[in-house]
Formats: sequence, C-alpha cells, structure tokens
Amino acid sequence: MFRRTYVWILRLHPRNFQRSFAYEMLLIFDQVSKDQGTREVPGNRAKARLTEAKLVGDGIVSLIRQWAFRPGFQQKPAVAGPTTPALDGVPGFYMIGSFKPRPTAVIHGLILSIGVLSAALLAMKFSWNHTGHLPFPTLDREENASTVEQQRAILPTEIAPVSHAAQSSRGNPGEVEGGERPQSAAAFEKSQRLQSGVAWKQAKNVADEGARISGKPAIAGTRLRAANERRDDHRSTAFPTIRSGSPEPQAGQPEPQGAAGATNPPGADGVKLNAAERRRVIERTIATLKRYYFDREVAEKTAQALLTHESNGHDDAATDGGAFADVLTKQITDASHDMRLTLEYSRERLPEHPPEQTAEDLARYRKAMEQENCMFRKVEILPNNIGYLKLDFFPDTSVCQKTATAAMASLNHADAVIFDLRDNSGGMENMVGLIASYLFDHPEYMYSPRESPTEHSWTRSPVEGNRLADKPVYVLTSASTWSGAEQFSYDLKMLRRATLVGERTRGGAHASVFHRIDDHFGMGIPELKPINPFGKTDWEGTGVEPDVKVKAAAALETAEKLAKNHLSKK
Amino acid sequence: MKEDVSEFVPLSTATLHILLSLAGEDRHGYGIMQEVACQSEGQYKLGPGTLYDNLQKLIERRLVQPVGERAGDEDPRRRYYRISPLGKAVLSAEVERLEAVVHEAKMRLQPARPRRA
Repeated sequence: MFRRTYVWILRLHPRNFQRSFAYEMLLIFDQVSKDQGTREVPGNRAKARLTEAKLVGDGIVSLIRQWAFRPGFQQKPAVAGPTTPALDGVPGFYMIGSFKPRPTAVIHGLILSIGVLSAALLAMKFSWNHTGHLPFPTLDREENASTVEQQRAILPTEIAPVSHAAQSSRGNPGEVEGGERPQSAAAFEKSQRLQSGVAWKQAKNVADEGARISGKPAIAGTRLRAANERRDDHRSTAFPTIRSGSPEPQAGQPEPQGAAGATNPPGADGVKLNAAERRRVIERTIATLKRYYFDREVAEKTAQALLTHESNGHDDAATDGGAFADVLTKQITDASHDMRLTLEYSRERLPEHPPEQTAEDLARYRKAMEQENCMFRKVEILPNNIGYLKLDFFPDTSVCQKTATAAMASLNHADAVIFDLRDNSGGMENMVGLIASYLFDHPEYMYSPRESPTEHSWTRSPVEGNRLADKPVYVLTSASTWSGAEQFSYDLKMLRRATLVGERTRGGAHASVFHRIDDHFGMGIPELKPINPFGKTDWEGTGVEPDVKVKAAAALETAEKLAKNHLSKK
Repeated sequence: MKEDVSEFVPLSTATLHILLSLAGEDRHGYGIMQEVACQSEGQYKLGPGTLYDNLQKLIERRLVQPVGERAGDEDPRRRYYRISPLGKAVLSAEVERLEAVVHEAKMRLQPARPRRA
C-alpha cells in the first residue's frame, strides 16, 4: 500500500522532476524496503512498514517543496535524456503537466478533498454497519418447473418427525426410534428420512418458496438426528442412506421389486433387477443428473461413464436394489469426483408428493422446541468467569430466537466462551448466524456449502450491548458433531475466531438436494457450485479438524485450561 | 576561466554531505544516501526527496553531473552522479571555510585563553 501511495506521490511531482528523478526515487524506496528486512520475518515487518511510511512522508514533503519552492526547475528537466521508464507497466511520470496551480486553487482543492474524504469515510462507516441489508446476487440456479415441486418436497418432511419426537422415549424432538413406530408408518417415514437428509437445507429462497406455497413459515431440521442415526458412516453421502436403518425383509412383509419403477410396485420377495430394469434406472439417473447437476460438462461425462459401465456388463452382478445403488454411486463419484452425488434405494415406495406441512406440525415443532429449551442444554458460568454453552442443535430462529438471545445475554459478561457442540447434530443456518453474530463486531460472512451467498450469510454484528465480540472463544467438537454444527466450527476456525478443541467432526455438509427418480430410487445432487472463500474443500466426508486434538470427553477440561491460561496472560 | 566559488559557499548540510560523498567516487542516489549516513555515523540521514532536490540544484549549478547508467549495476537503469571540477573546488572552499569556523570555534571555546580585544 505504501509503495502504491509513493508512486502516486511521485506522479504528482512537477513533470521535469518526475522525468529526472522519480524512477530513481522509487528504486530507492524498493531498495530501502528490501534492506529493512523481508516481510516474512515478523520482527522486521513493522520496521519495514515504518521505514516505508517515513519514505512516503519524505515524498510528501518533496512534493510540496517542488511545487511551492522550486518554480525555476519546472521549466526544464535537471537531467536530460529519456531515462524514466514506465513503472509497473503504467506509463508513469508524465501525466501531470508542468503547470503551477494558483495558491487559492490549491487551498480550494485541499478543502474539497477533505470534504470528499470525510464524506467517503462516513459512507464507509455507514455501510460497514449496514451491509447485512444490502441485496446480494445469488448464484444461478437451475430454473425449471420441478424446482418448486422439489422445494415442496423438502419442506413438509422437515417437520414431520416432530410428531414422533414428541412421543419418543427420550423426548428429544430430533430423535426418532424407528422400532417404536407402527409398521404402517415405517414405509412413509423411511421415505421421509431419505428425503429429509438432503432436504435439510433451508436456503432463504427455499424457505420463502415453501412459505409461499404452503402459506406457512418454513421450518426445518428436527429430523436431523433421526437422519444421523440412519446414516451409513462409511459413505460420504449428503444424506442418510436408508438401507442401513431399514429392517431386513420379513416374511409376509412387502418387499420391493427389482424394477423399482413407477410401473413396478413392490411385490413378493425374490424378484431381482433384470438388465432392462437396470437400464431404465440408469437412464433416469442420467436424465436427473443432467437436469440438476450444476456442472453440465461433468454431468455429461458421468452419464457416458454410466453407459460404458453398463455396456461392459459391470452392473450385471448387482441384482438387488441396494447393491445396484451402491454400484452406480461408485461409478458416479469415480467419474465426477464429487462425493456428494449419490444414488439411494428405498425398499418401500417413495411417495410422489410428501404430505403438506400443517399448522399442527408447526405447533408441534414449536412445543417440542419449547419443551427442550430449544436444545440449549446448559448455559452457565464456569470458574474463572468462563461462559459455557452446551447446544445440541441449531433450531430455527423463528421459534427459538428468544431462547438463543437469552442464552447469549447470560454469557455477556464472561471473559471467555466455550461452545459445547460435541452432541450437536446440526440445524438451521439462521441460528448458526445468530449465535455467531455475538462473536464479531462487524458483519462477517459465514460460508455454507449448501447455499448461495445471501444477505443472511452475514452475521448481524455488531449486536447492541454485546461484550463477547473480542472475547476468546472455544468450540468443543466430537466425532458426532455434524452438519450445521460443523459449519459453525468450520467458519469460526477459518475466520480465526475460535479455537476448536476435541475430535475431528463427522463430516456432513449436506449440500445435496434429493431428487426422486422413481418409486424406489432417488438421487442426492448438489445443485449449486460452492464458492468456498477459505479454499476448495469444506468438511463433506472429511470433517473439521480441531485446533487442539483431544478425546471428546477431555475437551471441556482442555478448553477450560486453555481459556484460563489465556486469561491469566492478559 | 576559473569560476568564483565563493558564491556557492556556505553550503547547506545536505549539499555538503552529498558533495562529500561524491568526492571519492561516482555514486547512484541510494549510494549517496548510504555514504552520507556512513559519514555522519548515522546522525544525518537524507531522504530521497531531499537528496534529489539537492541533486537537482547541484546539477543546475554544474557542481554535479549525471554520468548515466552502469552496465554492471544491480539495476542497469540506475543513474550515477559525479562531482564536477567546479564541485570539487566548491567543496574545497567549503572545507576551508569550515576549518576556519572550527578553528575560530575552538579558539572561542577555550575558556582559559583570554580573548583579543
């Protein structure tokens, strides 16, 4: 920055002076900066900066001196000859003519400059506090008729498990125990789980669209734990595979038929997928992939790979629906190198249209959240005035904002804050953003691979009366920390706002959207190309690496020690 | 015709140091700055703005002349400066003047010795 300033100062010198000496002065600037030590050495950095600042000051004095006191030298260059080359590719030092402005003009210019600068600074200050309200361009989304349909499919499932949650033995609104449910409900709920895992996303556009369609606010999330428990750990899917949680076929119970097509309802046991049926699934998979995947080129390449595998007979051994889905998933991820693309199989028929979200659903969700204190399990002040918040889920702010605000307010006078997310299974981005808002004194971008950036991607910082923006923050993680909780951990880590203590997280970014292919097959497809400001990869499949690696059980103790040490150094 | 050097003296501190630094050998701008710092044991440092302002004047008065670039230099486009014979004469005159000043100062600062009336 100093160099650029210096260049501009040199450019403002009288023309003849520029021609004679500007290049050499810049050479000296570079040489002095270099001699002061490289920037990489931390100790020398400040010194080099100071020297550069002094040189800029010297340049300003020189500028005034040349214009004010050296009128005679403005007539001809002191050194003849074309000696001044262009700097940085810019035809440098002959832009200002060799005129001398009148003193009154200089004074007027000075006053005007100060006025403009003040206005610009005021505008910057204003915008700094109001960036959250500015519209932000969203990424291109595939526009088609089915998008709305897709979103409809998302929303109702998000709320459905609450009813079970309220009745579950542990009373946890997120937890669903499949075995406790009547068999008649199993098939439908299974399909819901399949969809809800990917449909967890609650982009504003999705939510708004859902609200528009159903006439109700979009609520999402409580079935996450249910989804967790059904998830195949060995796979990096963006949503739980239902096979792992599906009961094995029992005698007399409907068993899916191999064909898995809309025309082929589940029937008796023993029917396997034949070549024609596999072919149909492949064709539909390809069509869905091409239609929704954000990278058409990769979709095309993947489609070709699937067809090649099929013609080479690589799919022939997979006569069972689940195995066939696994085979195709592997082929798809091998070709696309995108682990978020998955093909899923359901033994039970997937409903074409999930049930509509009702006011009762919403009321149930609200009640369940209230009963669970919105999953804010513990809010307390530990010894050494360290605030501790155990949060097991990031619930929707439309229901739980008050609880969250109260929890953060009770920590407001803490000297450090520990967020315990070891049992946190994710949740809503709006709650992630709300809590993060307390940790910054300016709006900060909270990256999510699930969404295009919107105005809601920024924290609502600063929060009035908040005192936590500059306090040390520790986030406790475990191998169970998942999804939205990983987003919270990942973003705070990448923003260097928190120290993560514990275990590597579970690794679910949930960037995919579920697309029903037919009665028994569905695909998880990321529709948006994620733009990660911190690098190319997020935590999908890999988890978030903690800063301090300890067993989850020892994480709190470790974080307390770290916080105590940090505070004692102050 | 030998020019009258008296019109050039006394020299300013910066001019004196610049001429002094060029007395031994030709130098480029940064070389002059380093030599000046060295001569004064770090007590007097020239910024580039002051340096080139003075060089501009010295060139104008023909006490210093630019001698162009040197092929072997780190930056071949860097211009070197040389003290002219006139510059040397002026420097000598300034040194003589300073010697007289120093002598006079020493004389006056010796408290034991009574001053002449």
